[in-house]
Parts: sequence; structure tokens; C-alpha cells
Amino acid sequence: MNVRTLIRSGLLAIGLVIWIASAGLAAGDEDCLTCHGDKDLKSARGQSMFLDSDKFQASVHGQAEIACTDCHADLRKVKDFPHAEKLKPVDCSACHDQEAALIKSSVHMQPHRTENPIVVTCADCHGTHDIRKRDDTESSVFSINIPETCDRCHLERVKIKNGGAFILQYQQSAHYKALQKAGLSLSANCVTCHGGHDVKAAGDPLSRVSRKSIIKTCCRCHVGIEKDYLEGVHGKDFVRGVKDVPVCNDCHSEHGIISPTDISSRVYATKVAAVCSRCHDDESLGRQYGFLTSRLKTYSASYHGTASKFGETRVANCASCHGFHDIRTSSDPKSPINAANLAATCGQCHPGAGVNFAKGKIHVVSAKTENQGSHVAKIIYIIIIGGLISVFLLFIAADLFHRIRTRWTKA
Amino acid sequence: MDEGLIPSPLIRDDEIFLRMNLAERIQHILLIATFTTLIITGLPLVLYEMKIFKALFAFEKAFYIRGILHRLAAVIMIVNILWHIAYSLFTRRGRNNFKELMPKFKDAKDAFQVFWHNIGLTGFLYKKGIFKACFDKHPYWLFKEEPEFGRYNFIEKFEYLGVAWGSLVMIISGFFMWNVELSLKFFPLWVHDIFIIIHGYEAILAFLTIIIWHMYNVHLNPEVFPMSKVWLNGKITSHELRTLHPLEYKKIAEERVRASAKAAEVK
Repeated sequence: MNVRTLIRSGLLAIGLVIWIASAGLAAGDEDCLTCHGDKDLKSARGQSMFLDSDKFQASVHGQAEIACTDCHADLRKVKDFPHAEKLKPVDCSACHDQEAALIKSSVHMQPHRTENPIVVTCADCHGTHDIRKRDDTESSVFSINIPETCDRCHLERVKIKNGGAFILQYQQSAHYKALQKAGLSLSANCVTCHGGHDVKAAGDPLSRVSRKSIIKTCCRCHVGIEKDYLEGVHGKDFVRGVKDVPVCNDCHSEHGIISPTDISSRVYATKVAAVCSRCHDDESLGRQYGFLTSRLKTYSASYHGTASKFGETRVANCASCHGFHDIRTSSDPKSPINAANLAATCGQCHPGAGVNFAKGKIHVVSAKTENQGSHVAKIIYIIIIGGLISVFLLFIAADLFHRIRTRWTKA
Repeated sequence: MDEGLIPSPLIRDDEIFLRMNLAERIQHILLIATFTTLIITGLPLVLYEMKIFKALFAFEKAFYIRGILHRLAAVIMIVNILWHIAYSLFTRRGRNNFKELMPKFKDAKDAFQVFWHNIGLTGFLYKKGIFKACFDKHPYWLFKEEPEFGRYNFIEKFEYLGVAWGSLVMIISGFFMWNVELSLKFFPLWVHDIFIIIHGYEAILAFLTIIIWHMYNVHLNPEVFPMSKVWLNGKITSHELRTLHPLEYKKIAEERVRASAKAAEVK
């Protein structure tokens, strides 16, 4: 053997080794695709076993060059193909241990108390071979796509106390419209409020949408409102743990939340009185917390209330005078209905409003004691009206009586 | 109807007199139109608890339009009233009408008399022989005769003065309700609240008076049923004048007697 032959065969051997080695590296995935690349491959149950290699290559795992057996770990040791039909479920926690820990505490991992417990796996939300990054617009967990992903189970498969319609209300909401129509990916989707991996049942005290946490949850986006709310009477009582005090969703509703300027909103100008009066017309709550009731009744009796009832939006409603997120008691110097601020508050609509605006009562529960002038005028008018109408009717009756009598006697 | 008054030979029985001239009829029609508009656009605010009124404001801006209509009607009504005042001051006919419309003690007496005449209680008692001696001594209390009315009877005077009073009250209280800021510059809120109460209750009073009293007298009253046409053609026959307004009939007859005497003198 001369040197040339030696070099030649040596190079050949090296090339062979490299070829074999390189072929061997990819051999796992290639092997899988020999069968799973076939579009017609079906399991015994008829389920397609086809793997779209292009889709996988585009996925986050494909990009990171994760091999099939990295996830389907029980295939690593298998030498004989085709392998057994039943494989172990993929365990994502091997890499995604933090998320796995969060999911364990979530409602998705706790078998529901139904006949057929539904257990949610990673793949249900994230997909399988086509998993993409959360900020990839194609991802099933991209913020704009989240509602669709959750709805796959939550509209029909999962029964909730309030019914599927309650969840569907979200599609009417300002949040959903911002997401879908305006494409604002920061707008609230299911996960924003309910949490992702650690999602809890709405009734769970640990849930992000529980009474205890809802203020924090909403104010993660509506940052400026938290301070206002906590400074007002409602917020102060909330901090003290008063259970009857309204939190965000008590006034604004939850899934169907829309802008206050939308006529369907619960806090629309002409409807807000109905919301406030749920508590502020409740006698027992009034006694318990020491606030005045009959607020709706007395508001309705005023021009503001009457006009509002007939759909006029420009008149004052509860919020116009009392404020909204930071409602304060009238004794608070910062309250818009504090005697010192009344002229300014009324002046928002009545330019040049002076001190006379404060000389009288707005919510008159008993005119007899609180608004004597009006009360006396009313009584005088009732007497005059009653008296005059009685006299009219007497004269009419006498006239008819006379006519009947004379006709009868003539006949 | 009693026809106690003997027809005057100087007045033909088929003669037609003008009870309401064109100006008066237009004033009356304007009053009807504005009053109706004001009631429809205003009453729902007083009776805000009645659900039927919600139907009036079914469309958007309805309440806003209501306010505009109410104020527009109010302005037209005020112009109408100003016209009527000028008419009553500066025309001979207007001045005469106004003078005739002023209440006198006779009107109270007439009302009293008409009522007891219609009831006929004393006549009934007299017929039964009860208090006979007393009634023989004071035959007035038998109310045998209906009183004789002039150009305007007590009913018409009452209605006219009612409109005058009501308009005054409504215009003043309404003006301050229209201009809340101005009102509260002069009055405290509790006085402004009284304006609101007065405006509402006066409206109910006016509405009921028209619906019950005026409607009976000019529509449902069997004598004119289904409707007295004076407000449309302004005409009254000498027969109607003689039976309904005998004193005016007499006055006209006397005037004619005097005129013919004068004519004879000239000859």
C-alpha cells in the first residue's frame, strides 16, 4: 500500500465517518418522519398520525432543534420500529418546571367534581407540534387568540354556574372589541384577569377575580383608578374588609363590561342610578352602615331624575355630583357635595352657580320636615284642586239631574 | 229650556250675532294648540311615575325635543296673551268684552241660584208642604227661576279669569324654571323648589278644569252636544242669545229701540 492509497482510503474513511455520524445525528427525527411524514398514517382508532414537518420546523421547539425523542422520551430506548401504539404522555415539566408547578395549583389540574372530570393538559391550550411563542401572532396563546382558545372548552364542554351565555358576554365587551377590532394586544383577555397557568375558579378566594383581588387585577391596567378608589368611602371600607362594599365588577359588570358612554352599559348616564340604588335604597344596608336610603326615589322626584328616566343624558346623575371611583362623604372637604364645594359642583352644568344652590335639599325624603315651603304649596294646591273639582262635579251632576228631571216630567 | 224672555220685535228670530270675531277665534285656537302642547310635553314630568308616558319618549332625543316644544309653545302662548291684552286695551270690542268679563257679586249669586234651581230641593219641599209658610214669605229660596245671564255667564267668567290667573302663575314659575341659574341668583334652592311644585300642580289644576269643566260646558252638555260651534264660526242665533244670554239680548233690543227713536226724531 503506497502513501497515496493510504491517504485516499484515510480520507474516504474520514468522509464515511462524517457521513455516518452526520446521518446518525438526524437519524432519530428522520426515522420518525419515515412513517409520520405519511399523510395517510392512521392509528388503530383512525386518528391521523401525520406530522407536518414544516409546521414543526416553524414552531418554537423546531426552531430550537428539539428532537422528537426529547419530548417523546419513552421512544429513546426503543430500537424496534414501528413502536408500540400507546406512548406515555409528553411531560413538559422536564423543561418547563416553573409553569408545571403553577398548573398544579390551578383549577385545570384539579379534577372537577363531575362524573367525567376534565383534566386540562398543556397541549389543550398550547397545541402540540406547532407550539409557538406567546408573542407570536400565530400562537394559540397570543393575547388576541386567547379568547378563542379558552372558548374551545368553556363555551360548551365546561359547565359553569352562570352558563355559557355569561362567558359569551365577553364578546360584547369593550375589552374584546379592543382586542379583536382595534387589535390592541394589551386589552384584557381571559388570561389577563383569570390568570394563565395558575387560573383558579372564580369562586376560589385565591382567584385573581375574587372580591379580595379584583381591585388589584383590574388596576394592573387601569392604574390611575386604584388610587382614586382607595381614597373614596368604598375603597376605604374595602381595605377594612367590609364585605358589602362594591368592588369594580359590582358596578361595571364583568365579562360584558363596556364603556360608560355606551347605552347598554350598567353605568350609562341614565342607568347609573339603578346601580347605586341597589345598595343606597336598601334599608337594612343603610341601617347597618349608617347611610341615608331612598336615594333613587328622591332623585326620581327631582327634575334631574325625571329627565334621566325619560332618557335625557345631559342631566345630573349620581356620579355627576358624587363622583364615582372616589366617592366621599359630604363631610369630607374633598367631596364634591361638601357644602363648600357645592357651588363648584353645580357650576359644572349651571354656570355661575352661587351659594343659593346650597340653600335647600336635593334628596328630599320627607318634604314635611326638609322642604316645608314646597310642602305647604303642595298642600294648598291639593286643597284647591280637590275643592274646585268637587264643585265642578257637583254643578255638572246638578245640571244633569235637572235636565233628566225636567225631561221626565215633561214626558 | 225656559223661554221666559219675550222676543223683541226689533230682533228677527233668525238673526245671527257675532259672539266671537275672527281675532277672538284665532286667539282661542292658539290657546287650544299651545295649551295642548304644553300639557302633552309637560304632564309626563309631573306624573313621572306613570309608565304610559315612557312611550312618548321612545326615541333618542325625544326628551330634548319635548323641552324645545314646551318652551316654543310657551312663547307662542305668551305672544298670544300679549296680543289679547293689546286687543282688550286698544279695541272697542275688546274693551267691552273685558268689562263684561269682570266678576260681579251677581255672578256668585247666579252660581248659587243655578245650583239650587237644578237640585230643586226647596221646590220639592214646598210641594210637600214642608216649610210652606217660610217659603211663602221668602220666595227667593224656592229658586223657581234660572238667573238671567249677561254677555258672559258665571261659568265663562270663571274660565276666563282662571286662564288669566293660571297663565300668570305658569309664566312666572315657568320663567324661573327655564332660567335656573337666574332663579338661583335671586332665590335659595328651596324657593326654586316651590316654583317647580307650583308649576306642576297648577298644570294639573288647569288640565282637570279644562277636561272636566270646560269640556262639559262646551261639548258634553246636552244643550250643545256634540259641540258648540261658536269657537269655529263665532256665530250665535238670536234665539240662542235670548235663551242663554237674556241680559245681552235685552241690551241689544234696548239699543235698537233707542236707535229707532233717534231715527224717528231725525225724521
